[in-house]
Amino acid sequence: MRILVVEDEPDLLRNIAQALREEGYAVDTAANGENGLFSAESADYDAVVLDVMMPKMDGWEVLSRLRKTKKTPVLMLTARDQSRDRVRGLDGGADDYVVKPFDLAELFARLRALIRRSAGQTRNVIEIGKVKIDVAARNVARDGEEISLTAREYALLEYLALHRGELVTRTTLYEHLFDENDSTMSNLLDVHVSNLRKKLGAEFISTRRGHGYCIE
Amino acid sequence: MMMIFNSIRWRLQIWYGLILLAVLAGFGITAYQLERARLFRGVDDELQHRAGFVLNGLRQSGRNRGPGDGPRRPQFDGPPPADALPFDGPDGRGPEQEPGMPNEFHLPQQQASLSDEADTNGYFYVVWRRDGQQLARSSNAPADIAIPTRDGPPPRPGEAPGPRLLEGTGKYREAAAFTPPGEIVLTGHSIAPELSELHVTALSLTAVGAAIFLLGIAGGWWMVSRAIRPIADISTAAAKISGGDLSQRINVAETESELGRLATVLNSTFARLDTAFTQQRQFTSDAAHELRTPVSVMLTQAQTTLNRERSAAEYREAVESCQRAAQRMRRLIESLLELAKLDAGQQPMKRLPFDLGQTARDCAALVGPLAEQRRVKISCEVPALNCTGDSDRLSQVVTNLVTNAITYNKENGEVRIGGSAKNGSVILTVSDTGMGIAAEDLPHVFDRFYRADKSRTSGNTGLGLAISKAIVEAHGGEIEVSSVPQIGSVFTIRLPTAQS
Repeated sequence: MRILVVEDEPDLLRNIAQALREEGYAVDTAANGENGLFSAESADYDAVVLDVMMPKMDGWEVLSRLRKTKKTPVLMLTARDQSRDRVRGLDGGADDYVVKPFDLAELFARLRALIRRSAGQTRNVIEIGKVKIDVAARNVARDGEEISLTAREYALLEYLALHRGELVTRTTLYEHLFDENDSTMSNLLDVHVSNLRKKLGAEFISTRRGHGYCIE
Repeated sequence: MMMIFNSIRWRLQIWYGLILLAVLAGFGITAYQLERARLFRGVDDELQHRAGFVLNGLRQSGRNRGPGDGPRRPQFDGPPPADALPFDGPDGRGPEQEPGMPNEFHLPQQQASLSDEADTNGYFYVVWRRDGQQLARSSNAPADIAIPTRDGPPPRPGEAPGPRLLEGTGKYREAAAFTPPGEIVLTGHSIAPELSELHVTALSLTAVGAAIFLLGIAGGWWMVSRAIRPIADISTAAAKISGGDLSQRINVAETESELGRLATVLNSTFARLDTAFTQQRQFTSDAAHELRTPVSVMLTQAQTTLNRERSAAEYREAVESCQRAAQRMRRLIESLLELAKLDAGQQPMKRLPFDLGQTARDCAALVGPLAEQRRVKISCEVPALNCTGDSDRLSQVVTNLVTNAITYNKENGEVRIGGSAKNGSVILTVSDTGMGIAAEDLPHVFDRFYRADKSRTSGNTGLGLAISKAIVEAHGGEIEVSSVPQIGSVFTIRLPTAQS
């Protein structure tokens, strides 16, 4: 899952990005509205965390311009908790909002829900055959037995599981699992897939040669 | 009941009613008395006339009895009847003297006819001797007539003594005359018609009075209602405002009436209250808002760091980040407290003579490193500017302006500090070559928490200019800004000169 964080307070931006990375997300950052809009328009993010009060271009402006081209789920970070502002945000196309100061746990939960909903999932637990994936607790079990995955392996599994039945191209996977600072090598993805197959069963992820991967 | 007496409407109404009642009653009673006096004066004049006639007749009949009868000759204690009674009778003839009978007095025919039942209009007469025996009476005289006594108020000085008027016994009006020998002459008149006429007058006066009273009360009610309607409007609006809806205003129809003026004054008070409350609310909300970002930083930093074991360097970085946030909060809180004190006027300004020019030069030197860092050139050409005030606080203002001028300047820009003294005030200007301030932002730059760029990252609290303005104004001076976008801004401080 790749997330864009747009926030003009450097310390806050760094903190949120770090915490999200530690949660296993690929995170890009933008320190102002203009850069944020550019990034959000040029890549397919799974979610955008957008601060409202920013120099040059504020969050409302970014949101309204982004909505002309993209349906990316947007979570607004607002310092104003008056319902007028919340209504404005939701009506303007925001998918959710969090009022500063917030708990990181809440921010994460709301982001997970946003991503899940945008993939058409309503529950936090995805069951595929014998494999059970708990998106909230970020753990995976097979036949009731917990299986330990690395953050990247989990992210790959989660993305494929959320888009179950769809063919997911390698490009898409690269876009959603690695942020712009990752200098990934093309075979890194194959390594993660092969590791997942070892842990969950060889036929769990099928390969469409030349196209991508899919969980049936 | 208490409510009625406490209500202005009812009190006005009651007072108004009482006064109207008193006026009407006074008027009615006076009219009644005048009418009564008018009616009775006619009767009284007639009675006195007739008493004179009868006396005349009595005297003539006594004269006819001869001089020997001197003692019995009636004498008036008044003027001669011809003077007192210049009456020629209804037919125009003077009284004629005819012989009468001693002890058996008869009026001459003509005078007797005055008391005839046929044409007397109810006038009658009775004559008594001193011993109480009736000497003569007209046929229509009532039987139960009492002999009048001689007692009575003596004639007032200047008043012609003549037949004395008696109040009579209700139904009658009488006049009595006494001869020195003791004969008593009484003329009377039944006043029943006059009384009934008076009765009718009284009734109609009462009816007209009652009608006017009711009309007056109704009119008064209407007027009082009209007069106090604005009060009801005012109290409705005031109640809503006291209930928290500060946007309420009194609907003022006539601005020139006393209540209209009151309502206008109240409206402007409400408007000022509303503005003050809105500003206060906005200020509180802004202050809370300003604290949210640093608190968010500390919270997210702490939560991220505590999520797992960290290296010493990471902990150090986390603590530094928290420190930055805490310092930002401290700056904000200090600014808020300073503003609060300035608002409350609790912070007394020193009143000492000092050189504002020197202060400006000191400030320029102080911010030199910052200017160097931003590659901004500072030029400070200020003459000695003597003024009175708190040099520390004004130095804070100048530092703030110069720091802003550096912060919002472009690279290789320039900050120019200039000064002059004229017309009893000293002027200090700080101009920059920065991006300038947009025209729509210009009126708000001294507002609290107002930022043209809406960002919170500049490290400023958004209160600097508001505090500067408060300090300058506490010195009796003023601060202004003018700006041309993309060219630069000029801040001008004007302070009164030192009084020598």
